[in-house]
Amino acid sequence: MTAMIVVKDLKKKYDDKQAVDGVSFSVKKGEIFGILGPNGAGKTTTLEMMETLRSIDSGTVTIDGIDVAKNPDKIKRLIGVQPQTPAFQDKTRLTEVIEMFAAAYGVKVDPLQFLRDVDLEDKAKSYVETLSGGQKQRLSITTALVHGPKVFFLDEPTTGLDPQARRHLWELIEHVRDRGISVIMTTHYMDEAEILCDRIAVMDNGKIVAIDTPKNLIKQLLARGFSKKQHVEQANLEDVFIDLTGKDLREGS
Amino acid sequence: MKGSLYTVITFVRINTKRFFRDRLALFFTIGFPLIFLFVFGGLNSGSGDVSFNVAIINQSDSTFAKDFVKSSEDGKILKVNKEVTTLDAAKEKMTRSELDAAIILPADFGTVKGDAKYPSGEAQIVYTQNNQQSAQALTSILNAQFGAINTKFVQNEVPFTVKQEQLNERSLSAFDYTFAGLLGFAIIGMGIFGPVNVFPELKKMGILRRLSTTPLKVWQYFLATMIGQAVIGLISLAIMFIIAIWIFNLQVVGNWFELGVFIVLGIITILGIGLALGGWAKNERQVAPLANIIVFPMMFLSGTFFPRFLMPEWLQNISAFLPLTPVIDGIRLISTEGKGFIDILPQLGLIGAWMIVIYAIAFKVFRWE
Repeated sequence: MTAMIVVKDLKKKYDDKQAVDGVSFSVKKGEIFGILGPNGAGKTTTLEMMETLRSIDSGTVTIDGIDVAKNPDKIKRLIGVQPQTPAFQDKTRLTEVIEMFAAAYGVKVDPLQFLRDVDLEDKAKSYVETLSGGQKQRLSITTALVHGPKVFFLDEPTTGLDPQARRHLWELIEHVRDRGISVIMTTHYMDEAEILCDRIAVMDNGKIVAIDTPKNLIKQLLARGFSKKQHVEQANLEDVFIDLTGKDLREGS
Repeated sequence: MKGSLYTVITFVRINTKRFFRDRLALFFTIGFPLIFLFVFGGLNSGSGDVSFNVAIINQSDSTFAKDFVKSSEDGKILKVNKEVTTLDAAKEKMTRSELDAAIILPADFGTVKGDAKYPSGEAQIVYTQNNQQSAQALTSILNAQFGAINTKFVQNEVPFTVKQEQLNERSLSAFDYTFAGLLGFAIIGMGIFGPVNVFPELKKMGILRRLSTTPLKVWQYFLATMIGQAVIGLISLAIMFIIAIWIFNLQVVGNWFELGVFIVLGIITILGIGLALGGWAKNERQVAPLANIIVFPMMFLSGTFFPRFLMPEWLQNISAFLPLTPVIDGIRLISTEGKGFIDILPQLGLIGAWMIVIYAIAFKVFRWE
């Protein structure tokens, strides 16, 4: 499959810290690409350079064949961005939030359709400040898609959500991928990366230290002779939690 | 271009709706200036007449004394406090400056003494140290009144007299100045304090940053804010005009259309200062001191709360060039002096120059986060 995003030898320096130090990877059309790494590894800076929010010191990013540094305006129409903590101006109805984001792209859309996509149709006339964290995440996702982007960036989308809301969000992200959109996300949750991501890149100190499918990365580790000490259970605590409380999304999540 | 305008109009439409849902914003934009209007309007009402707060302590039973008390109470010059009937009560009120002076009519005031043909008497004016000026003015007024009465009883040659004649020219009342200043205050309130409070908050929440990932341009965002503010500002100022005309007898003689256009220009110019400050600031702490340094001197020097002609001349010369001054002057010139755009070209020119300078800075220093 053709590469939607090509990142070549990307670098960014803050004062005397090399935040991103020669990062290269490519993302295919319609795949979920995860970037993992400890805090300060350079994940967010890499994302921000790809999103046109931060200037690029050296190296290139091309999205759908367009250079990000040279054509930021064209790139903005190709990408949708989900910030880490979505926030909206209060006293705004959900339908109005969608109308405004669509208007920012100069387009007019049916807000209800986009709310339906993320199960927020019954909240259409509510003000954004009445939404829970999970609902805000979902609203934010749908606002990032109003203009039909080809690439969707998510920065730690499930941080602070309850297990039901996380699972629901994963489904939504998979739906986005299934529409042929390339999804790039960062996360600190390994289970999330393992379940959701088609491929992942592990970053540390501004460099990519490994890049492959989750399965292959695990295989490679085992091939190097790694073995877990403790006995592997057939279920974990999260399975217990979901078994006891069900998968249904809760009011306020 | 068509898409760009749709963007701006949608932002204006939704943000204006949001404004009217926000009670706090409504209060600060519309209610707050109204409170000032009532306070200053109340202070200035009837300011055309000089009036003294006095108590009249009448110890005489004569008809003349009674007539004098009655005519004083009905007249405009003296504001007679009828509750005070004793000197002690008057003294207490005078020490608290609630009364300027007390007029005492002694027991023999207005009686016909001996074989005189007409009544006579000596009124006494008592006052405290801090009311010397009022007491002197009051003495002159009573002297003049008695003089007029005296000529009725005693025929005298009066070589020098003064004759009053009222001109038909309408003159500006203190309220005309105050009102234009209060409009300036309202314009500053929404134009500067609005963005200065809102923008850093939007940055903190990452809302502007999120917008910066869309193709939205700074000029679209500014233009949407300008149109929204102009609409809300016109509504707010219209309410002030209605109340000023209805309650405080403001007479608007100018052209309403020109007044509206001029007010919009003023709002946009002053809003530019708010956009520059709020757009530049990373957080509230950074912008609050700067906003105060700019706003408060401008507010006082441009004649918001008291007219500029009360200032020393050198200060008037400087304050004439502040951005708010031509706005306040222009509004007053059009509304109460009936001037047209051609008459206020200096004000329009100054506003235009400031608009270019302010918006050049605002666009240059704006940052999305």
